Amino acid sequence: MTLWLMAGLLFTPLAWAVLTLLTDFSRGRLVSWVGILVQALVSLGLWLAVNRDGGFYYGLGGWDAPLGIELRVDGLAVTFVLLTAVVAGACGLHAGVYIDPDKPWHRYFWPLFWFLWSGLNAVWLGGDLFNLYVGLELISLSAVGLVALGGQAGALRASLRYLLAALLGSLAYLLGVALMYGQFGTLSIAGVATWLSDHPVPAGSGMALALMIAGLALKTALFPLHRWLPPAHGIAKSPVSALLSALVVKASFYIAARLWLELGQPLGSLAAAQLIGLLGSAAVVWGSWLACRQQRLKQVVAYSSVAQIGYLFLLFPLTFSVSETVSLQAQQGMTLQVISHALAKAAMFLAAGNLILSVGSNRIDALGGVSRFLPFSLFSFGLAGVSLMSLPPTGGFAAKWLLLQASLGSGQWWWVLVLLAGGLLSAAYVFRIYRASFLESSGTDQFFHPSRSLEVIPMILAILALGMGLVSDQVLSVMALPFAGEGAP
Amino acid sequence: MTAFDVVLVLLAVCLPLLYPAMAVAAGYEKAMRYALPLLPLPALMLALGTAPGWQLELPWLLNGGLWGMDELRRLFLLLTAILWTLAGVFAVGYLKAHHLQRFCVFWGLTLAGNLGLTVAVDIASFYSFFALMTFAGYGLVVHEGTAEANRAGRVYLAMAVVGEMAILAGLLLASAAADSQMLPDLPAAIAEAPQRDLMIGLLIAGFGVKAGLPLLHFWLPLAHPVAPTPASAVLSGAMIKAGLLGWLVTLPFGETSLPMWGALMVVAGAVASLGAAALGVCQQRPKTVLAYSSISQMGLMVLMMGAALANSDVAQPLIAGMALFALHHGLAKGSLFLSTAVAIPLAPGGRWLMWVLIALPGLSLAGLPFTSGAASKLVMKELLEPDNLEFAMAAYLPMLISAGGIATMLLVWRFLWVQRANASYGGNSAMIWLGWGMATVSSLGVFWLLPQPGGLPPTPGLDAMVNQSWGLLWPALAATLLASVVLAARSIKQR
Amino acid sequence: MTLNAWLPVFALMTSLVASLVIFALPERGYRLRTAVNLGAAVFKLALVAVMVWGVFQGVEYGVSFTMVPGVDFVLKADALSMMFAGLSAVLWFLTTIYAVGYLEDSPNRSRFFGFFSLCVASTMGIALAGNLFTFFLFYEMLTLATYPLVVHRGTERALKAGRTYVIYTLTGGAVLLLAIAWLQGLAGDLHFQEGGHFGGADPAMHGSLTLIFVLLIAGLGVKAAIFPLHGWLPQAMVAPAPVSALLHAVAVVKAGAFGIVRVVYDIYGIEASSALGLLEPLAWLAAFTMLYGSVRALFQMDLKRRLAFSTVSQVSYIILGICLFGPVGATGGLVHLLHQGIMKITLFFCAGNYAETLGIHRIDEMDGAGRRMPGTSLAFTLGAFGMIGAPPLAGFITKWTMGTGALAADMDWVIAVLVLSSVLNAAYFLPILHRLWFREQSGKWPHERYWGRLETSAWLFWPPVLTAVMTVLVGVLASFPFSPLSWAELVVLRAYSS
Repeated sequence: MTLWLMAGLLFTPLAWAVLTLLTDFSRGRLVSWVGILVQALVSLGLWLAVNRDGGFYYGLGGWDAPLGIELRVDGLAVTFVLLTAVVAGACGLHAGVYIDPDKPWHRYFWPLFWFLWSGLNAVWLGGDLFNLYVGLELISLSAVGLVALGGQAGALRASLRYLLAALLGSLAYLLGVALMYGQFGTLSIAGVATWLSDHPVPAGSGMALALMIAGLALKTALFPLHRWLPPAHGIAKSPVSALLSALVVKASFYIAARLWLELGQPLGSLAAAQLIGLLGSAAVVWGSWLACRQQRLKQVVAYSSVAQIGYLFLLFPLTFSVSETVSLQAQQGMTLQVISHALAKAAMFLAAGNLILSVGSNRIDALGGVSRFLPFSLFSFGLAGVSLMSLPPTGGFAAKWLLLQASLGSGQWWWVLVLLAGGLLSAAYVFRIYRASFLESSGTDQFFHPSRSLEVIPMILAILALGMGLVSDQVLSVMALPFAGEGAP
Repeated sequence: MTAFDVVLVLLAVCLPLLYPAMAVAAGYEKAMRYALPLLPLPALMLALGTAPGWQLELPWLLNGGLWGMDELRRLFLLLTAILWTLAGVFAVGYLKAHHLQRFCVFWGLTLAGNLGLTVAVDIASFYSFFALMTFAGYGLVVHEGTAEANRAGRVYLAMAVVGEMAILAGLLLASAAADSQMLPDLPAAIAEAPQRDLMIGLLIAGFGVKAGLPLLHFWLPLAHPVAPTPASAVLSGAMIKAGLLGWLVTLPFGETSLPMWGALMVVAGAVASLGAAALGVCQQRPKTVLAYSSISQMGLMVLMMGAALANSDVAQPLIAGMALFALHHGLAKGSLFLSTAVAIPLAPGGRWLMWVLIALPGLSLAGLPFTSGAASKLVMKELLEPDNLEFAMAAYLPMLISAGGIATMLLVWRFLWVQRANASYGGNSAMIWLGWGMATVSSLGVFWLLPQPGGLPPTPGLDAMVNQSWGLLWPALAATLLASVVLAARSIKQR
Repeated sequence: MTLNAWLPVFALMTSLVASLVIFALPERGYRLRTAVNLGAAVFKLALVAVMVWGVFQGVEYGVSFTMVPGVDFVLKADALSMMFAGLSAVLWFLTTIYAVGYLEDSPNRSRFFGFFSLCVASTMGIALAGNLFTFFLFYEMLTLATYPLVVHRGTERALKAGRTYVIYTLTGGAVLLLAIAWLQGLAGDLHFQEGGHFGGADPAMHGSLTLIFVLLIAGLGVKAAIFPLHGWLPQAMVAPAPVSALLHAVAVVKAGAFGIVRVVYDIYGIEASSALGLLEPLAWLAAFTMLYGSVRALFQMDLKRRLAFSTVSQVSYIILGICLFGPVGATGGLVHLLHQGIMKITLFFCAGNYAETLGIHRIDEMDGAGRRMPGTSLAFTLGAFGMIGAPPLAGFITKWTMGTGALAADMDWVIAVLVLSSVLNAAYFLPILHRLWFREQSGKWPHERYWGRLETSAWLFWPPVLTAVMTVLVGVLASFPFSPLSWAELVVLRAYSS
């Protein structure tokens, strides 16, 4: 059973990718709908299995580490797999209606989409550094391709910039991996951690970790390495932006977080942790500030991603040299932040796409009076905004609450200020858009109504983001499931 | 209490309270006009028909309601009911169609407040009715809508609000000290409380606004002349007595002697009775003169109050004396006010009769023998005998009373003088005749028919009047002489 | 779980579901929307009535589950929550009627009524919240639900007011969140409990507790419009009248005041608050706000702005009341929670009626309006006298009880504040009444409309008349069982006996 699930999860996306490569957009759409259904069911099945039996290590093809591909199937990973299925599925469904099938280059959407999905699954489940690298590259390249689908010169420019950043990041990461392999002779994260617990820390080994995290930070668009993100996310097609903001940046962060949690204590330092936290805070403030200054709707949402990613990096100081409880709170908070931001940001980009479609312009001031005609998409946008502002009862709020508790519990009260200020700043840019939509003065009554299916999808995502706060305890309990393979090679 | 009595009590207060509801539907103007004299009738029946001492508990009302009637309240209730009935009769003939409904609404509400506060025994409903009377009275004062009326209304309202607040604070403090929501518990508690003087000061000042205490009286001469005449009559006859009643039921009379407060009140009373006369004789309008006369008369009552505050052992008879004085003054003043709006007949005989009838209540005020004024004045004199009293001002009281008598008479002459200049001549509607006539008759007669409150020296009979007629007459004669001299001097000067 | 556990949830869901249904309805579905609105309001009224009776009998209603690790989502109905729930249920019903009439033929009604119901759902949640966390959840939800109502008109002014509103309330919310999180870290998840949690608090914690208290009050004080955090309120007056009525009488300002009540009574406990020396400064602040609001109101010529500053002043009565250590003062503060709601909603309804029927917005345009609209003007008069504290109306009961409580607590200066505030109230309300009844109409009404037999639309006419009648009844029948005063005494009895 598990074999089938694992196989379904990792390889069928590749199969769908190949299949859709051979057809045009419309037929690819049919194939993909079937694929999305299968993927969703498989993800759900794996999640249920782990929920019932606990997590395990899975050696792909029967080979175990250190030679083979080792997969770490724990509660967190399957939660992210399920999240990916939900968000990517929603984006796929949305894209099927949203993207114009008549443009010839759009037929590449589906293959790229599926490559992206398989890369994501590989990263969530990957247990060793090199596999993670492969997954990461797969994600980066397909993401760049998806951005380039925009077709205009601007999109190409943005995608090239993105490509450059992604490659630089990969290079740094790869360098780190090489150093690490040289030092410890293994690529398995668990292996390195075991080695470190038995031996004294060799001098200079922090360098490898620093390089890897720097590379990943670039891919995650941590301030001040964020400059590539807003153009790319802003100019891509809305479903693509949704995928990029919701999932792609999370993948590199996920790797960084796992590295830090496993190896941070022996290899990192307090200064490094605080520095990363500080950069995260700067991202929160600077990203929000820039989001407030943008004139175009999707740019606002894109800069909001920069800010929200900043929160994630507070994980580093909040898990370094702190008590078990605080660390757990921080990890739980971060998980919730990833999940709720993914759902909310996807909802937001998709809804923004609908709004742009409806008013025919991507400028914010063109939204005047739209609240009269498009309450549904606007409502989705608003609900997602509530989660971004981390107001209750959303998942964003639950995350912030846990981070607040962790900050107060560890005595690092300065992050409290960042969290509160970040919430207020995000309110500033979200309310700017509400405000524009409520303005009645403009005389335009020419609004185009997008189809219902386009409107329903972001609404579902937004409601999920909203409800996440109410069920966050249950969601987080999956993380705490027993892990069967603990300590296994 | 029988069920009938309960219904009567409720009816006495609720009839005028609910009467304004008639204004909701248009078309009842006429009915409202003719209903005016009927409103106080249940209260009149209550005052005359039931024996004092009943109490009615209304536990759901405010902080727990208790209404009742003792001898003191009965006297005030009687005065209120009679005066409002007569003024109501007068108003039927007097009122113009303009804003009639509005006037009737405020009339009913003011009446309800005035009657209610007389029977209320618990603090909350007493204060409620008091406030109702005060605020609804504003509607009567500004009814004419002239700039002058509005100005008078503003002063009235500003002072009334300040007064209400002083009362509220005083009652709150007293109620907290007594740990009770009932008026009868207050005097004893105030007498014992550490903040005694603050409470007494607040209550005296608060009710003093209504009662026209010096420096708190400014609204009176402004409001009385501008209000419609029947309203002036009840304002001066009944409503300022509500202030007196407030004092009588809250201040610690008979609990402890307060010579300091007594002396202060005597001074205030003297200032009021003499100062108001001095100001009053300079006035040009009859109703203003009457307003100052009211202040002056209230000053005499304040004299008695001061004596009662200072001497706990004679407080009870003094209170009864004040009530009696209030009744006499209320009826006489009501009649005088009404007479300002009665046109004088053109026939010479009728004219003379008319002037005599107008003058009679005034002369009664001045204490002419065989009038109610003479009786109440004799009672007052007897009660304020310096031998009975022990405080600093006791020796001055007889002199002040006599001076007050002169002042009263002077004001009466002045009133008649300006009234002669201002009076209109011609016919009156029947209701005006009726209202004024009944007021004059009752001012001369009712006093004698009443059962006396207990604790008073016996009402002086005819022989006493004859015996003391010089004592009664000389202040009036002195005043008359003074007035004649002034008049003569003026006519010489003009020539 | 029994039905008892679910009653609070039902009460909450009633308006939540109504809100979603209304959002889904097309703009033109006028009858259906009205039916949903009124049906939900009546249903909720019935639910609350059942719970009031149950709580009176001592039944426990409540439901709770873990939401975020370490924190529970708790709904429960105790005597105090029923006060607020009852108020919001009754006034929601009336405001719904009013709003249906008020927004006749205006655009965006689906949106309006949807958020309106959402707003009431939040209020209900605030009333029924069983711990600070749940309270905060609905407190923030209220902010969001009211924003679209404030900016409903979509004019520049409305949007500006909305911005001010959001800046104030969200900042307040952030401060409140900090305080709650801190308190949670210090003492764990704190359920609202009669008598509070810090009765015998460790002296070492006093510093932190005091600081947290200040933060809590600052956070809640924004909505309760305590000086100097009141700036949003007068600006929010650009909203349609039913919204102003709801914002000022029930939802927003009361949420803040109610939160302060909860903090003082059910988190810190009145003894502990007093022992920490927290009540006296708060009382002074409330007293200052009372006077400040009144003085500012004096100088407003816009009717609704005057009423808004009056609200600033009146809400602080509640806060002052609960700062009076002792059962009587507490009763006074609590009862004003209801009384002020009823009186202020009357005044706002009336202000809306004048605007809608005659086009009157400014006080100097009101001359002679009493003759044209006697019912509305009578309601306004009663509301205004209630505010002044004239007996036997609702406001008098408050003042009397608070005054008695202040004396019992040896805080005699409160009497002076009460008196001064009443005088100021009189100073800004009585001139309006004079204009209404005693001035002659000057010129034509700015924008007059006719509705046949009644002076205005029946939808607009009856709600203020009913609340005015209630203003009289809750005062006159204050000693009746289930009157606000009796209920407040019950609450206080339970709080002080534990």
